[in-house]
Amino acid sequence: MISLLLEQIHSDVMKEGGSLKNSSMRPKLGVAVLYLLPGILLYTLVVVIPIFNSFRLSFFRWSGGLKRTFIGLENYYILFQDSVFWQSFRNNIIITLISIVGQIGIAFIFSSFLYSRMIKFKSFHRVVVYFPATISAVVVGFVWSFVFNYDYGLINQVLEFLNLGSLASTWLDNPNTIIYIVSFPIVWQYIGFYMVIILSAMTSIDKHIYEMSEIDGANGIQKAIKITLPLIKRTMGVTVMLCIAGNMRIFDHIYVMTGGGPGTSSMVMALHVYKTTFIKSQFGYASAISVAILVLSLTLILISKLLINRPWARAK
Amino acid sequence: MNRGILKFSLNLIILLFSLSCIFPIVWIFYSSFKTQSEFMLSPLALPSSLAFDNVVSVIEQTKMGLYVLNSFRNTTISVVFIVLISFFTGYFLSRFRFRGRNFLYTYFTLGMLIPLHALLVPLYIQLRAFNAINQWFTLLFPYVAFGLPIGIILVESYIGTIPKELEEAAFIDGSSFTRTLFTIVLPLASPILATVAIIQFFQTWNEFAFALILVTKEALRTVPVGLTVFKSAYITDYPRLMAAIIITMLPVMILYFSFSKRVMEGMTTGAVKG
Repeated sequence: MISLLLEQIHSDVMKEGGSLKNSSMRPKLGVAVLYLLPGILLYTLVVVIPIFNSFRLSFFRWSGGLKRTFIGLENYYILFQDSVFWQSFRNNIIITLISIVGQIGIAFIFSSFLYSRMIKFKSFHRVVVYFPATISAVVVGFVWSFVFNYDYGLINQVLEFLNLGSLASTWLDNPNTIIYIVSFPIVWQYIGFYMVIILSAMTSIDKHIYEMSEIDGANGIQKAIKITLPLIKRTMGVTVMLCIAGNMRIFDHIYVMTGGGPGTSSMVMALHVYKTTFIKSQFGYASAISVAILVLSLTLILISKLLINRPWARAK
Repeated sequence: MNRGILKFSLNLIILLFSLSCIFPIVWIFYSSFKTQSEFMLSPLALPSSLAFDNVVSVIEQTKMGLYVLNSFRNTTISVVFIVLISFFTGYFLSRFRFRGRNFLYTYFTLGMLIPLHALLVPLYIQLRAFNAINQWFTLLFPYVAFGLPIGIILVESYIGTIPKELEEAAFIDGSSFTRTLFTIVLPLASPILATVAIIQFFQTWNEFAFALILVTKEALRTVPVGLTVFKSAYITDYPRLMAAIIITMLPVMILYFSFSKRVMEGMTTGAVKG
């Protein structure tokens, strides 16, 4: 699925294979419009127009009522100096980096394990590891709040049990480490998602390549890094893009586990927008933040795409 | 011999990892059977009895049943529309070459990269202007729209693998476009449509942010939002809260473990073809 996405967006969008060359099979324009318009309309209304609206509203000061004042770029000046926003952005980046290493990295490692002949019960592992991705992020947040709970949480209880009670700590109350603590459930939940994607990409690799490398004496790690990784580069590129996109909009977990706290130490951009809109009633400013999130996310995704595909380095 | 040790340790590592993926859930599950004091005494221990009291009290004394109903209504209606629209759009994108076809495809797929929460505020404002907030149909708009990118991608690639001869044969026999679409293509596409339905069921059931913001009336509240409301109410009665969590997860778990094979297949469709 995902490897196909990238393929399509790149060059071979015009595949001839499944298309009907006999144009008399084509329905009349009116019929085609009838089938396609509702979807296009809905999607445009819900996804595309709000983007433009966001942009437009970001030039106003507006508390949601009848009065709306045009203030030009003032919201953006405020945004540049908004320390909470930049702290949120930093937190998003931290979570994203941890996720790229944690979610995708671990997913790749375990995919390599599962792909090898040495592991049993492959289906069991796949099904179980993907399971957390099907639960609500809110539930995951709750579950892990329990796990990190100081008095009754799983972690502290296990530490006590192992006589390491002195290591037990108020995990959720430490502003210095909270962002790392909060990253844990996020990484945990989606490893399975990336593992399934990477595994499926691996299965399309021709096994003969491995056999030949074994003749040359390659061991498991070498095979994974030098053979597998370059061959599934496109898929990895897509997973990184999805990872960045997903972590730039992270909201549910943080809302449930810490609400952005302690203070604002675990604030993320989406939560900042939420609080600015619905608690502080600053709709115009919140729109500016939304625009910023959009621009920053897409920029990061673009950068990652360039870094991975390196269109300027032809010889590889 | 060396290989044997390697094999054992690899299996062990991945087993531990898999177990860690379900253990928190398992812990919540058996903890929900405990009473509050029992839990506080020993959080890790297995419950002394399978007391369903917590579950019963959650169902009877709270609005959880209502929330489940709301979520169910939103999810099933959304999924139906997502499947239909994805089917139509994916079919057209796959079978026909027309001006703007590539643009349309990219138009939809870019939706997967947009940070949806950046749309929260403007969407709220838009819907509010039409008095469409806090209605029973409010959440259908975003839920269907957000489900379209994945649905269209999956359907489009799958239709490409269906031989077009059947449609051409039907056309030669005088079948209209619509008739061919529904009587021939639809049944053939049912595997991928089922996959889309299941994946979107999870996405929609679990959606939180838009449900939180666009629907504030208690009577229309969905399950994830309901859970956060519980948290403030049950602040120290952990087993009860855990029972609530288990109830909300039940539909998803049943669906997932029954259809896990189909879910996996759906995710790997692209790779098999590519």
